[in-house]
Amino acid sequence: MRGYLLRRLPSALFVLLLASLLVFAVLRLVPGDPAAVLAGPDASAEAEAAIRASLGLDDPLPAQYARWIGGLLTGDLGPSYAIGGRTADLIGDGIGATVELTLGALLFVIVLGAAFGMVGATSRNRWLRGTVRILTTGALAVPPFVTGVLLVLLFAVLLGVLPPGGRVPLLTAPDLGVQYLLLPALCLALPSAAVLGRYLEDSIGRALSEDYVRTATAAGIAPRRLLWRHALPNALPPVVTLLGMQTGHLLGGAVLVEAIFAWPGLGQLAEQALVRRDYPVVQDLLLLLVTVFVLVQLVTDLVHAWLDPRIRWE
Amino acid sequence: MTTLAAAQKAPLDSRTGKPRRPRHPYRAALATARGRTGLGLVLLVVLAGLLAPLLAGHGPTDQSALALAGPGTPGHPLGTDDLGRDLLARLLHGIRADLGIIAVAVPLGAVLGCLLALAAACHPLADTVVQRAFDLVLAFPGLILALAVTAILGPGRVPVILVIALAEIPVFGRLLRTGILVQRGREYVTAARVGGTSGGRILTRHILPNAADPLVVQFAVSLTVAVFIEGAMSFLGVGVRPPEPTLGAVLSQSMPYLAQAPHFAAGPLVTVTALVLGLSLTAEALSREIRR
Repeated sequence: MRGYLLRRLPSALFVLLLASLLVFAVLRLVPGDPAAVLAGPDASAEAEAAIRASLGLDDPLPAQYARWIGGLLTGDLGPSYAIGGRTADLIGDGIGATVELTLGALLFVIVLGAAFGMVGATSRNRWLRGTVRILTTGALAVPPFVTGVLLVLLFAVLLGVLPPGGRVPLLTAPDLGVQYLLLPALCLALPSAAVLGRYLEDSIGRALSEDYVRTATAAGIAPRRLLWRHALPNALPPVVTLLGMQTGHLLGGAVLVEAIFAWPGLGQLAEQALVRRDYPVVQDLLLLLVTVFVLVQLVTDLVHAWLDPRIRWE
Repeated sequence: MTTLAAAQKAPLDSRTGKPRRPRHPYRAALATARGRTGLGLVLLVVLAGLLAPLLAGHGPTDQSALALAGPGTPGHPLGTDDLGRDLLARLLHGIRADLGIIAVAVPLGAVLGCLLALAAACHPLADTVVQRAFDLVLAFPGLILALAVTAILGPGRVPVILVIALAEIPVFGRLLRTGILVQRGREYVTAARVGGTSGGRILTRHILPNAADPLVVQFAVSLTVAVFIEGAMSFLGVGVRPPEPTLGAVLSQSMPYLAQAPHFAAGPLVTVTALVLGLSLTAEALSREIRR
């Protein structure tokens, strides 16, 4: 296992290094002078020069890169020019909201995905299976911004039971927070839940057609016990890996869902920073998001290797 | 002997009584109920987009004094938006704009991805470089890539095309690379090599045609992804610049008015759903027929 980690880690770090260089280049490739953009059209030459100096834009590029990475590693991200406040605080606020949304969605993915998969694999009711089939096809095909608008139309406009957007932190007011969390989490979760459900259905179906299941049936083991004690444990490992991969997708999708539901997370912060051209914040955020995504992928690979020893020796 | 066996096995055509030639799997796929429905939906939307200037009675950016008029208003069959622009015109021209973006971006990404995969197949060093480059692009989850590109280029039509193409390059590249690796191990390739066929010819004349099927399915899937990326970028405010309509832009502009004017959102909702559902059904029909 340690050998696998040692082989897998360098490539993840290499991708991170390349990504950081790429993101670093972003700020330098922007047409025009970022200091002039940040200072605004009416700023004096001195103000611009001060911003240039504080951004370190006069230093050689390698020094700028080293200071940026050093600041990231020590948590010193510097001030935000356009939005105001310290970048670290802005990102800290955003992380809480995005993590809340992603975890809420993950819960939906697990519950809905398990339900879809179990119904698809074991239910004998044709109507129920057909409904689940249509639901998963729709959830997979239709983009989140369509489901998002439909969810708002149904639950907020027609039924009026849930708010159409915004956030109340779950920890400060749980009862109200849940109401605000439900729609965005469901919207974010639906495509991943459909993927998980289809995969689980397939996986259980394959496990149920194995020889040992036939042997067990012949030996008189009840179908229910067969499913829960024999087929399911064998069907689960690949599903767990898939769940990890979907967590990465959830993080990426959160950016869009936050925009639909005015959820004040990292995606909204990135959007705001982009629109106001607060490039230092954009730079920090992009690298942070990519790092989390790469880490999730790495952990997924490790869990997969742990569950399935054959992977380690490939 | 073989011709006799083939003639016996082939089903007879009911009209001519001659042996029917087996149909190409793509045509067979599009003749299934799934394929027909999918293709029909897509064609309907494409036709609406192509005929937009003829079907729409107004320009997509012409404003009038009628703000948020309901559907059925004289002269505005779908109603008007918050600035009094005709919703039918905006919808039709939005489809047109989306089609224009997708028709450039997806083929661009597919061709570049396949070229890179071919280059990677030629030399192990090229393979490593290309693989790492794909890893790098894939490290940016879809919309983060969109944000990164627009951070450099600013919002607009070209960045949207670029983001879609960039996101598709590693998808097609990896698919073709896997296909080439699988086909390379087959016996007919060894036979061709023993027969003295050159490496380049084996790759283009023997391996590529056999590795192409998954790429065709992926192309249909990628078209839906492109619709998704365009819409998402409009929602994030980094898409095609207003006032030009796209499907995503019209839908995102309707969000604040969902309670007072749900018809504002109806057009793009139905159209996007029809388009992506049509493309998904087509892709599924193709992939089922190919796997058989």
